[in-house]
Amino acid sequence: MLKKFAILIAISLGLGFLSRNIGLNFQQATAISIFSASILGTLLFWDFRLGFALIGTSVLLVTRTIDLENVIKFASLDVILFLVGMMVLVGLLKESGFFAWIVQLILRVRNLTALKFVVIISVVSALLACAVDEVTAIIFMVAAIFEICDYFEVDAVPFLIISVLATNIGSAATVLGNPIGILIASKAGLSFEDFIIRAFPLAMICLAVAIFIVVIWYRKPIRKLERRIKEFGSNEMLIKLISVPPERDLKISLLVFGLTLVFISLHYRLELLWHLEPNTVLLTIPLFSSGCVMIWKWKKARDYIETDVEWWTLLFFMLLFAQAGTLKFTGVTDVLAKNLAELAGNSISTLTGIVLWASVIGSSILDNVVLVAAFIPVIQSFQGLNLNLQPLWWALLFGGCFGGNITLIGSTANIVALGILEKDKNIRINFFQWFWIGLTVGLITTGIVWVALLLLPIYR
Amino acid sequence: MKAREIMTKDLTGLSPEHSVKEALELLKKMRISGLPVIDKEGKLIGMLTEKEILSFVLPSYIGAVGRFIYEENPKSTRKKLEELVKLKVSQLMRKEVVTTTEEATLREVARIMLIHKARRLPVVDKAGKIVGIVARPDVLEAFIREAEEIK
Repeated sequence: MLKKFAILIAISLGLGFLSRNIGLNFQQATAISIFSASILGTLLFWDFRLGFALIGTSVLLVTRTIDLENVIKFASLDVILFLVGMMVLVGLLKESGFFAWIVQLILRVRNLTALKFVVIISVVSALLACAVDEVTAIIFMVAAIFEICDYFEVDAVPFLIISVLATNIGSAATVLGNPIGILIASKAGLSFEDFIIRAFPLAMICLAVAIFIVVIWYRKPIRKLERRIKEFGSNEMLIKLISVPPERDLKISLLVFGLTLVFISLHYRLELLWHLEPNTVLLTIPLFSSGCVMIWKWKKARDYIETDVEWWTLLFFMLLFAQAGTLKFTGVTDVLAKNLAELAGNSISTLTGIVLWASVIGSSILDNVVLVAAFIPVIQSFQGLNLNLQPLWWALLFGGCFGGNITLIGSTANIVALGILEKDKNIRINFFQWFWIGLTVGLITTGIVWVALLLLPIYR
Repeated sequence: MKAREIMTKDLTGLSPEHSVKEALELLKKMRISGLPVIDKEGKLIGMLTEKEILSFVLPSYIGAVGRFIYEENPKSTRKKLEELVKLKVSQLMRKEVVTTTEEATLREVARIMLIHKARRLPVVDKAGKIVGIVARPDVLEAFIREAEEIK
């Protein structure tokens, strides 16, 4: 513990002194030191991250590295409120039984075959991840997978890994799939439509390729499941296992969520129609819907806010964004962006490659929100160099989501799924059990994105 | 009235080395819902209640899946029970236990029970050794006795 702490202090102070030596000013060096301490804090002291972020931001303020006004500006309340709204809606869906209903649908698939099972869990994982969010999606996918694997008495691990891989891929497809989606959309001024046209199809192609890879990779467990399905006959018991009463609440909740999705998908058109600033409607729709929920369920309104909204994470995000913003505010990212652009010979294709691969590698180790928060001001600084930023934003999005597949700590969905596996099945999978399949899927899908970003004109 | 006066001193406890199967039989025989786990030195190290057993049998994520009804008893229950009886008490027990002391007042005992939703509180001395146990009915009885004395 003490050793890790010493490493953290040494590296962050070292980086500060180093940046002083290469000609940055005191403020810039402080900003780098504090931000690197926060990043290392997430890596070495995950449970203490909020404490570190609070102290770090206070130091930035006291040392006048940044002022209060800019801390508030960079904290990105718009993104945070959007996430609050979505979390309330997801809480409502959960309570009304929507997720259990999805589990039930998967359990009731007729004429189940092993291949069909793999395709269904992959596609449903990916689509749910992009409609709600990856962490919520993975929980009930795990529930469905465990029930089916228990019933047919096969090892659930391969199927769990398949589902997580698909979830991470799906989370890149829309603004809703991952906190980095809305973060990038908000900072880059990208709309939901942009995501549907540019991110969704590419994510689906990657998903198809990933399914192909896992079917070959896990051919033995899949064959075993196939044998068991033949042996056990149809899944009569699974079909009846759980039920969700189709009550009024479920219908209304689905309606509220459905309308929210419809308006989110139309936000760009509505903003044009009403002459609003870009993304105003996108960011307010979840707020409006959760406001309606608060009124409809006024007796339980506090529960939604207090238990379904993850304040711990959101507060950490705000402070992290503020600290990353300090890098921009003090001009560190301008220096970094200039050097990076020179290194890449001012070629946008080379820069796209650098951003994509750096974010894939970075998010395989770090939480992807941390990584993206660090990258955003750098990319914004490229704007001053008259570079076309479009491909860089997409590179950051796909890199940040797909990198999560490479290691077992790569994304929150991985950690949540493996946590359940350990708790319920007492199975701890080792690093390499995940790494080889994760790396294969991660590299190939990122490769596809790389080619698409370089060759297809819609990403320009 | 103090905890000392209402606690059961004649203790039955589980050893961490006991199997869960033995623990289950003991719970059934004594018709109670939980027992303290005590090490060789007489220190309280945990608590094993029906709740731990139920939450082992059901999946940990049922709360997160939301509202639904189990219409069938899946086969996994049997498998879980087979695993359960093989466990040692120390593997299943709850390690964080709310306790009280001999000198605690009746009202304090009741307060702890309410706040922590505890049905029974082990009474420990300064060294962490268990000296007795207070259950909800003991507290209730003591309250009634006290009320009658005042009358």
